[in-house]
Amino acid sequence: MVSTNRTRLALAAFPLAFLLVVLVAPALRLLLEGGQVSLLAPLQEAYLRWRLAWSFLQAAVCCVVALGLGLPVAWVLARFDFAGRTLVLRALMLPFVVPTLVAAMGVLALLGPQGLLHSWGGPDLQGGPWLLIYGNLFFNLCLVVRAATEALGQVSASRVAAARTLGATPWRVFVRIEWPAIAPWLASAMCLVFLYCACGFGLALVLGGQEYATVEVEIYTLVAHELQLAQAASLALWMLALTGLVALAYALIERRLAAPARADTIARRRPQGVLQWASLWAALAVLALFCAAPLLAIVWRALAAGAVAWSVLWDAATLAALWNSLRFTVLAVLLATALGLAHALAARKSLLLRTLVFLPFVVSPVMVAFGLLLLYPTWTASFGLLVCAYALLAYPFVAKSIAAGLDSMPVHLAQAARSLGATPWHVFSRVTLPLLRPALRRGMAFAAATAVGEFAVTLFLSRPEWATLTTLVYEYLGRPGATNRDAALVLSCLLMGLALLAFVLIEWAAPPRDRDVLLHA
Amino acid sequence: MKHSIQSLMVAAKLVLLLALGCSAAHAAELRVLTHASFALPKPLLAQFEKEAGVTLRITKAGDAGEMLNKLILTRAKPVADVVFGIDNVLAAKALGAQVLDGVESPPSVKPLGGVNTVTLPAGLVPVDYGYVTLNYDKAWFAKKGLALPRSLDDLTQPAYAKLLVVQNPATSSPGNAFLLATIGAMGEDKAFAWWARMRANGVKVAKGWSEAYYTDFTHSGGSRPLVVSYASSPAAELFYSKNKLTEPPTASLALAGAVFRQVEGVALVKGGKERAAAIKFIEFLRAPAAQQGLQTEMWMFPADATVPRVEALRQAVEPTRHDSPGAQAIADKGAEWVRRWTKVVLK
Repeated sequence: MVSTNRTRLALAAFPLAFLLVVLVAPALRLLLEGGQVSLLAPLQEAYLRWRLAWSFLQAAVCCVVALGLGLPVAWVLARFDFAGRTLVLRALMLPFVVPTLVAAMGVLALLGPQGLLHSWGGPDLQGGPWLLIYGNLFFNLCLVVRAATEALGQVSASRVAAARTLGATPWRVFVRIEWPAIAPWLASAMCLVFLYCACGFGLALVLGGQEYATVEVEIYTLVAHELQLAQAASLALWMLALTGLVALAYALIERRLAAPARADTIARRRPQGVLQWASLWAALAVLALFCAAPLLAIVWRALAAGAVAWSVLWDAATLAALWNSLRFTVLAVLLATALGLAHALAARKSLLLRTLVFLPFVVSPVMVAFGLLLLYPTWTASFGLLVCAYALLAYPFVAKSIAAGLDSMPVHLAQAARSLGATPWHVFSRVTLPLLRPALRRGMAFAAATAVGEFAVTLFLSRPEWATLTTLVYEYLGRPGATNRDAALVLSCLLMGLALLAFVLIEWAAPPRDRDVLLHA
Repeated sequence: MKHSIQSLMVAAKLVLLLALGCSAAHAAELRVLTHASFALPKPLLAQFEKEAGVTLRITKAGDAGEMLNKLILTRAKPVADVVFGIDNVLAAKALGAQVLDGVESPPSVKPLGGVNTVTLPAGLVPVDYGYVTLNYDKAWFAKKGLALPRSLDDLTQPAYAKLLVVQNPATSSPGNAFLLATIGAMGEDKAFAWWARMRANGVKVAKGWSEAYYTDFTHSGGSRPLVVSYASSPAAELFYSKNKLTEPPTASLALAGAVFRQVEGVALVKGGKERAAAIKFIEFLRAPAAQQGLQTEMWMFPADATVPRVEALRQAVEPTRHDSPGAQAIADKGAEWVRRWTKVVLK
């Protein structure tokens, strides 16, 4: 176990230096360029006040809805065994990797003016806030479900059994035993959902329209198109302050509530009786409606495009983009894993470091992109900077996942190893790391997904020969004509397939219950 | 332990291999900055590299306005040697910010031929041009039996409520061009009065061209049968149609005051390197091969009118008239107009 202060300091130096060079310094450089920043300016203008208020309002609404829908679904997934359960859990990650414009097309195909809902006599939801909220749920509900399922899987079976034998109703068991156990996990998920929705950029850009766009969109407009750096900077600082508070609160909650994982997990059983089967089907229906429907809409439209459209898969441009997506992702995940591991290990006892993990989420990516351009003009469109940018956006996932894994790890195992004479490095490589493997894999899977479907980095100067699948989709969408649109749809399907593959390779590689085996050994 | 060291070595080798896949070439490098829509046939670019003895490093920097802002921000240490895609809307801003090398166009670039001559301020060499104008969904209008609007004023009538989607001029070049056309045709005050009526009549604003065209235009499944696009879009629709249509499913609607001629140019970047190669690149863009190649790659008309139009682009109807405020007025008031537009239409 890494324990000495010096080791922790050395570990912290790596991610902190990285954050400083790739994020803090560029953002500050851009702030300087803007000159006098007036913090009060956004509050004095009704238009900007509404942008700020709406950003947080829609994030809060999404949190509430995601928890309300996600927790029951997660409970069903955690407690019941059914054919295809693992598949459902893996598939939950897919929304994460869908490029935003494609996701938006999926959402519109369902709820837009010529979408299925409208064609079945439902209302046309475009123009209001609903599309953005639905889109946010599409991306974030799965996150809540995954986190809650994971957490529910760690609830102590003996405590639940004891409560049941003492006559507690399932509801009481949930409130008294399950809820306290899963609360930190939910808090972490809620925090992420809030940050994603509040700081979300791509979706708000497309689905928010002009009226329901968020602050991030406003910052993007001000920086990229109007070169109003001072105004953008003041908005960015407001966002940083407000979301920073959320991140801080989260770090506090998580650390307080953290408890070692239980070794005795509750065995899943097949649903019995009408009620249980009904709840299973209801849970699957919720997932289908919010997470699968937009994806299916895209697949359906791609299939409807016909065989000719699919020949785009063999284009030289597609193959080149595929290779780029693959190698950028591999490199970014490797860097993100190193950064995330170091950050999580260093941050075990430091609230500040825990909060800093969120910095890549809460600092406007547009500010960072333009700051990088200003600070390192010779490095623009350089390979190193590109991979760093990918890793910057991906590594908090690794760090978060490992931090959660560390929190729930029993300390006595490491202590036992130490007392038997193992060196700290031995303890780390033989005890801590194997125990962390599930968390590490999960974090890497998230990181890979982020890199594969990366959108914000396209804001950096990018080079044609570095086109990834995502940028290729955008390129096809930049031209009129049916074959271009079809090509974009087909490539979106390929992107989804690729993301699925990443999960298969990373998450399915090891037996899912190896953690329990290790704990019992 | 041994095993893990071995796997570490394998991983290190893999990383090296992946990184090397994109190591920079050693030949002299010509850094070209373009907007996201830049495209030329690959063999042509390869041929240029061979003949000029340089490696092209083409960097795409988003929308043209975004690209120029990046150029302005980095003027102390330019990120490119030559820039393509600054048009007659952005020219004054670029010249004002002094990011271009304000020399006259290289003498080696031959003057434009033909009658329909396009021009750009000194320092920018015109490469292609196109028309931003309204497009409509033929099938939608046929199905509804609605007559096409005959003027911009018609669009403010209840019959045409909620039919048009435009791009935000703050974030989109075609959006800005369309705004300028209305101001050029009606004068500032009348134009903004028209925009206010359009707001009341439910004009929809999209962020950029792809959002407007692919999510809002009825032809792509949206709710608006009228969209601001290019005069060449219907020709591209035909070219990229799936079932090899004989006529485009959309058409341009060149109403008075709704047509803006956009002329795109190439220029040397102030403080850039590789001057000789950069001038060769300018010549290359104006040579017949590139002038022909750009037509179906970028869907613009060649600046050199003596270069024959390719068959696909002949489907595009070239508007007979277009409107624009003067270049100086755009330079002086362009930003203010966008801000005023935001207030009138969005806020």
